[in-house]
Amino acid sequence: MNGALLQLFTPQLFEAMVRLATPVTFAALAAVICERSGVTNIAMEGVMLVGAFFAAWVGWLAGNPWIGMLGGVAGSMLFSLLFAWAVVSLHFNHVVAGAIMNILAFGITRYLMMICFGRQGTSESLPRTLQDYKFAIPVLSKIPYVGPALFNQTPLVYLSIISVIVLSWVLLRTRFGLSINAAGEHPMALETLGRSVYKIRYSAVLLSGLFCGLAGAFLSIENSNSFTEGMTDGRGFIALAANIAGAWKPGGVFIASLFFGFVDALQLRAQSLGLLSLPSEVFLAFPYVATIIAVAGLVRRSRPPAALGEDFRIEGESET
Amino acid sequence: MTPGQQNVLETQHITKRFGHLVANDDISILLKKGEILAILGENGAGKTTLMNILFGLYRPTSGSIKLQGVDVNFRSPREAIAAGLGMVHQHFMLVPPLTVTQNIILGQEPVKNGHILYDKAKKEVQELSRRFGLEIDPDAPVMDLPVGLQQRVEILKALYRKASVLILDEPTAVLSPREVEELFEVLKKLAANGTSIIIITHKLEEALSIANRVYVLRRGKLVAEMDATRATPQELANQMVGRPVVLSVEKPTPTSRDTAPILKLEKLCVRSQRGLPALVNVDLSVHRGEILGIAGVEGNGQDELCKAVIGLCGIESGSIRYKDKDISHWNSRRRIEAGVGYIPEDRHTSGLVLPFTLSENLILGKSDRPPLCRHGILNKREIDSNATKLMQQYDVRAERPSTTVSTLSGGNQQKVVVAREFSRNPDFLLISQPTRGLDVGAIEYIYKKINELKVQGVGILLISMELEEIFAIADRIAVLHKGEVVFESLAQATSQTEVGEYMFRGKLARRAQ
Amino acid sequence: MIVLHVLALLLAVAGSVLYLASYFEGGLLLIGALVLEGFAQRKKLGKAAFTQQVKGLAQKSLVPVVGIVVALVIGAIIMALTGYDPVKAYEALFYGGLIKNWHVTVLNAVPLIFTGLAITFAFQGGLFNIGAEGQYYIGVIVSTWLGLTLSPSLPSWFGIVLIYLAAMLAGALLNVIPALLKVNTGAHEVVTTMMLAYTVRTLSPLFIRAFGGDPKTSSHPLATDAIKDRFWLPLFQSILPEAIYRLHIGILLAIVAAFVTRYILRSTNLGYKIRALGYNPKAARTYGIPVGWMTTTALLISGALAAMAGATQVLGLDHRMFQDLNAGYGWNGISIALLAQNNPVAIIFTALLWGALDAGGQYMARVTHTPNAIIEIIKGIILFLLLSESLYEQLKKHGFWKRWGRRRASRKQKEVAA
Repeated sequence: MNGALLQLFTPQLFEAMVRLATPVTFAALAAVICERSGVTNIAMEGVMLVGAFFAAWVGWLAGNPWIGMLGGVAGSMLFSLLFAWAVVSLHFNHVVAGAIMNILAFGITRYLMMICFGRQGTSESLPRTLQDYKFAIPVLSKIPYVGPALFNQTPLVYLSIISVIVLSWVLLRTRFGLSINAAGEHPMALETLGRSVYKIRYSAVLLSGLFCGLAGAFLSIENSNSFTEGMTDGRGFIALAANIAGAWKPGGVFIASLFFGFVDALQLRAQSLGLLSLPSEVFLAFPYVATIIAVAGLVRRSRPPAALGEDFRIEGESET
Repeated sequence: MTPGQQNVLETQHITKRFGHLVANDDISILLKKGEILAILGENGAGKTTLMNILFGLYRPTSGSIKLQGVDVNFRSPREAIAAGLGMVHQHFMLVPPLTVTQNIILGQEPVKNGHILYDKAKKEVQELSRRFGLEIDPDAPVMDLPVGLQQRVEILKALYRKASVLILDEPTAVLSPREVEELFEVLKKLAANGTSIIIITHKLEEALSIANRVYVLRRGKLVAEMDATRATPQELANQMVGRPVVLSVEKPTPTSRDTAPILKLEKLCVRSQRGLPALVNVDLSVHRGEILGIAGVEGNGQDELCKAVIGLCGIESGSIRYKDKDISHWNSRRRIEAGVGYIPEDRHTSGLVLPFTLSENLILGKSDRPPLCRHGILNKREIDSNATKLMQQYDVRAERPSTTVSTLSGGNQQKVVVAREFSRNPDFLLISQPTRGLDVGAIEYIYKKINELKVQGVGILLISMELEEIFAIADRIAVLHKGEVVFESLAQATSQTEVGEYMFRGKLARRAQ
Repeated sequence: MIVLHVLALLLAVAGSVLYLASYFEGGLLLIGALVLEGFAQRKKLGKAAFTQQVKGLAQKSLVPVVGIVVALVIGAIIMALTGYDPVKAYEALFYGGLIKNWHVTVLNAVPLIFTGLAITFAFQGGLFNIGAEGQYYIGVIVSTWLGLTLSPSLPSWFGIVLIYLAAMLAGALLNVIPALLKVNTGAHEVVTTMMLAYTVRTLSPLFIRAFGGDPKTSSHPLATDAIKDRFWLPLFQSILPEAIYRLHIGILLAIVAAFVTRYILRSTNLGYKIRALGYNPKAARTYGIPVGWMTTTALLISGALAAMAGATQVLGLDHRMFQDLNAGYGWNGISIALLAQNNPVAIIFTALLWGALDAGGQYMARVTHTPNAIIEIIKGIILFLLLSESLYEQLKKHGFWKRWGRRRASRKQKEVAA
């Protein structure tokens, strides 16, 4: 049994943990910024999917995964613009709008699949992906266990960690961050001080689109080399849980995402080791079950932004 | 402090309509430099609407505004702030989890290389605070501050933006007399320094003590302008209401009191949601056929008292006895079934289900029993006839029982709640702020109904923040201050002044001779 | 007077059953029912009030009709821009969905009605049961299992009822954890139901392998064996010989379920309390409505309804469980519930609409080679347009023509004029 455990917790496991956490980290950061500004976001799944598609398609067209990444981000930001418009200007119920976005995302990606690749299912493979750009940071990557996990990775993985730090800084120390906090706690106060809550929320949603785009790009052109329909596989909702577990803070959210990455990596590894003679499907279900447990245990402690999910209107728009 | 001659701010024929409602009707006022102007009026007279127009939150339907002689048309508060207007709102526009400094600089933060210079900001805040005598801890989260200090933050916000015109909306509503004095000192200093100030209030004496000139608004119209030194409170009161007014509700004498009270709170201790002590060793009794009025400034435990009596929150220690049974751990359902009626403070959030019809609202809490419901199935005919009957009995003006309650006026909505609760034939009634936001006619009607119940022998616990209301109908009065009962007396044996003293000073108030 | 109502009702029922079975002559009966009912209303209300009511109804139905038309137009533009012929495509769409494959439309609508009801029921209690798909699967699993294992000596109808009850129980039980978590910790049911849905979906191959879909031994590795045929739902064909052979009476069950749901919500104490809770939890709690119990009940009933969808699919159409279950019933269920504005009876119609789009879409794809994913996009646009109250208000105020590009100017005009 001891030997089996050692076989399980190898450096490769930790490397996989960080790698597999990446899309959840990005999507959870998207949730953080969106919800801190007061907009409930359940559409990350769909926006990620759109980002994944565009990353693959543009990357394939251009033959260059970096351009693909930009394409993915552009696509998902454009898609989130629709969400922003619905929620901020048209005063849609946030959860309903999010549901519509998810529905549209599945339809759009399937349709574009046919248009761009002439078939359903999986797209053409990219000749070069971001996987090819894996690099190790000189000294740090030699540290046992932690080294290869954190410092010998592919670009988007690094970017996800950097994003956590940057977003943390933005929320704590910049004007924009302060405004986002105010918009999510007491939007009227912000408005009476002369800053447009609408503009802040639009920006927040677009920024969350950017992060979801990176998450999608990771899925299609870094962790794999093509787009498959439905490849987000529930990660958008796991990210939602990570956001709650992390108490709407970038640092906490990162740790929560690492936890899910860990469970994900564990199930892959345990499966391949043939540990616990359980059928493979049980392992596949680990991440989902883990999410439920996490949500059950951690929800009580975190307090959401006071104005989350509430519509915000200024007079002059809807004359009676 | 003699104000200058120039007109800093001028409104000309401002009118504002919301659909059919005319909130402001042809209002022209002017403000001179360095002057303190008071705008008086009852609730609903249109004062806040006018200020929101000045501040750019609303746009006038017609009319114009001149600032320093130049026409201005603010499309948002940002423009008003940039032009030198500052507003201290009645309901504070503060972000609770952020610190004092963050709230003050929000919207105009000192920045370098992308990040906020919090040290610089803090120094500036301390400077301002010192200069105007507004002591405050710059790092405290606003939600931890008492109301008086929160108001200081609001004022500092305006000063930080170098406001030359300061508008304060009902600034003294939640302040103790000493805090009011302090505020007025600050305002006088500001005015002497050249800031022009507008105060909106419904408190006559205060307006007269601080202002140079007074305008009176009534039902959206400007009805009077007076020099503060020459106006008398009686004149102003008449102008505000339009008729010589004293709420003429006869107070019936309490019916014979049994020695055993219907409700008895013994050494009740309750903690607030945040874990702080909210009620401390409260001893109160209510007898059948009498009204006990609980006076107090908002935030002194009234909320928790309501919740504890109706059964919506747990108690830390002590007991609640109803009809001589210990009901401390009963839930609200049991208490209601045992004859407790409840008229909550906020009819919209706790009293009514706005999207429901009149019929549906009138059976809230009663929907389990015949004849309204048999074997789990609602009897529509009974429910509708119940509604029709109650609508008539309680003068609810609506088209039909299937009208949605959200379309009714505030007065009618409150009548729905009253109708429902009174028709439970309660033995005990808990009422909180029953006439908030209602017009005089509705208020009189509700007092009449409450007195009817009293005469029938119902024990009533009334919680109110309006002293006039308490004195209008209560037989006995108790004052809640920081969660303790600091004063108790028969209504006839005390005065508004005395009760007011206890409300604001608690145990420190001396008993009047 | 009552006679008119009863007659209208009989005509409506007969007409509907016939129409659903592709006996389009039933439509005449339906029209007849409508005329009779109109007559009766006119007598009751008098000419003026009646015309007003008709006008009101017409106005209200204008919005959804216009919305659907606009969505179709946008879809056409997309098709044209990407190289497909919208006219041919729509011809096939309408013909396939409404005429040739009408029976497919009806078959599609059946599970949608049940899941739509599930979502609506939860919604009335203020809950978003987005993981309804998982409850659907559990219904499929339980009914397949019982369909395979129940003793063949049981009478058909008894077995069918038993299977339904078991499926409903399973669906309700699946929601116990989300309900407990919601009540005790406030955990958002969107996440918990969704995660359970993914879990069930991920684990379902285990079940299939256990009951006949084992790749090592079976010729149909992606599906279980077929359930015993005595537990299959009766077909329309048994009473209406011209009906397509696959059409089972599940649609009638679904319609009955819709009316029963409506009744529960509007006319029972339970429904009243759930709705009060959904609209205003604070007031509900204050006046003695037990929030925890009502929330739990709403979620459990919702789960049961969604599971009925699964049971009906198995007993009526598939007669087995397929592996490839990503049928999107969760999201589609949400869509039709939202479109129906959470009115249980309207769900029947929005489900038929969605079913028609699906059936027509498949036909269109087969005949014109237009990818039927465009239908998903059109569905999304319909949702967007129809659920945007604000958009509709703004359109009304500014007039259709001013909408493009001149919003700011007309807003200023409006202020001055008001």
